[in-house]
Amino acid sequence: MTERFQCGDTAALVSYLYEECASADQEAISTHVSLCVACAAELAALQSARVHLAAWTPPEAELGFRVVGARDPGSRTGTSPGVEPMGERPGVSPGVSPGVSPGVSLSSGSWWRQPLPAWAQAAAACLLFAAGLWLGVVRGSTPGATSSEPMSDIAVSGGEATAAVGTASTGTASTDIASASTTSASATSTGEASTLAPAALRAELEALERRFGAALTELRAETAHAISAPSGISETQMLARVRALLEESEQRQQRELALRTAQVVRDFDSQRQVDLAQIQRNLGQIDGLTGAEVREQRQMLNYLMRVSEQR
Amino acid sequence: MTWTDEDLVARSRGGDLESFNQLILRWERPIYAFAYRVIGREEDARDVCQDTFLRAFRSLPGFRGQAKFSSWLYQIAMNLCRDWMRRQRRAPTVQMAEGADPAELAAEGGPVESIEDLVARREISAVVEEAMALLPEEQRTAIVLKEYHGMTFQEIATLQGCPLSTVKTRLYQGLTVLRRLLEKQGRRPQLVKRI
Repeated sequence: MTERFQCGDTAALVSYLYEECASADQEAISTHVSLCVACAAELAALQSARVHLAAWTPPEAELGFRVVGARDPGSRTGTSPGVEPMGERPGVSPGVSPGVSPGVSLSSGSWWRQPLPAWAQAAAACLLFAAGLWLGVVRGSTPGATSSEPMSDIAVSGGEATAAVGTASTGTASTDIASASTTSASATSTGEASTLAPAALRAELEALERRFGAALTELRAETAHAISAPSGISETQMLARVRALLEESEQRQQRELALRTAQVVRDFDSQRQVDLAQIQRNLGQIDGLTGAEVREQRQMLNYLMRVSEQR
Repeated sequence: MTWTDEDLVARSRGGDLESFNQLILRWERPIYAFAYRVIGREEDARDVCQDTFLRAFRSLPGFRGQAKFSSWLYQIAMNLCRDWMRRQRRAPTVQMAEGADPAELAAEGGPVESIEDLVARREISAVVEEAMALLPEEQRTAIVLKEYHGMTFQEIATLQGCPLSTVKTRLYQGLTVLRRLLEKQGRRPQLVKRI
């Protein structure tokens, strides 16, 4: 750049603004700006935009990333939470040539806030489904159950299913309920219900209620019988089992507590670092703003001085 | 003892994960701030930040130290931001600051700043953020690298892969448009008003 500054040389003005030009150029522009009101205003406007920019701070985010090796004993890998496998990141065109280090992953500080990976969610769903299925089978196969094939009853839907329940179970209360429902359902489906008189309907409802009551009483009696029946396990064995369960639960809780404590300590550390960084940034901002203000004042004074001298 | 970036890079290349973690600790905030200011979305900025270090770690064997480690990181982050924007295929949306709750703000701000000042600063910050989101990506990136990361014109030119004069033009145009946008939104530059 020449030592003479021309109005409209925006590149030079920007260099002057950021104090990134040679000292001779700096002086030339400074002299010009002191005389040219338009350029002085332009410069002042650019500076004020910069002052506003200083107020823009990004929101605080929990970062605390760490690289952890797959074979590192202290690492959280595999199914442990918080670890994000590399392969699952969305495809990004490389800014640099990748030299792959397999088994390395980047973990973040707050694992419980991150969503589970899809495979983990699917596994959990499968586990839940299997547990539900198992429970259903166990309940269905317990003595006193109304059907020996509970799943087949569940699987079939519609009028045939209710008919199957009604015929498979003999002489129990639930049979009555099922057959009553069947009757009611078939009546509804054929449109007969709409033709029944209110008195008849009431009588039918009362009959239904009585059946429900009887079924309930029978069910209670069966449950009481089942509870009072000897289980075949001695009291000592039962106690030992309960103790074992209690110990197991206690150990689990202790493990959980240790895990949580470690996590809290880690979070505390990362938060402290965030706070320190924030304080440092705030100080820097205050410093920058003050500097900019002082610079503005100085320029204003210079400008006023020059204007008064000219007059 | 405080290690330099170059020392830590050398140790990381030798397989010392802790050294690389030190580098992450040192640079994750600036990289996150850069990504956030360029793409304008908190969660995505966090992802970009994470990807940047992941990519840097993978590519560490190929890093010859011709450029500063920080410049290299910014280069990766900038490429990832560009990819992100390409994927979005739309202007970046700006996450506005949530409604200013005086109690919350007071708790965050501490005793240094009054609630009024804090609210005002938040307000200005949101306005600037909105205005910056309206700038073209090249101008926004140039301003962010210059204003918040203190890079020289030459460094920005290298990062953006353009001539020095283009960087200056981008900065000038960006600042000018920003000033107009701020004026339009009622943030009349203080110095102009005083004159």
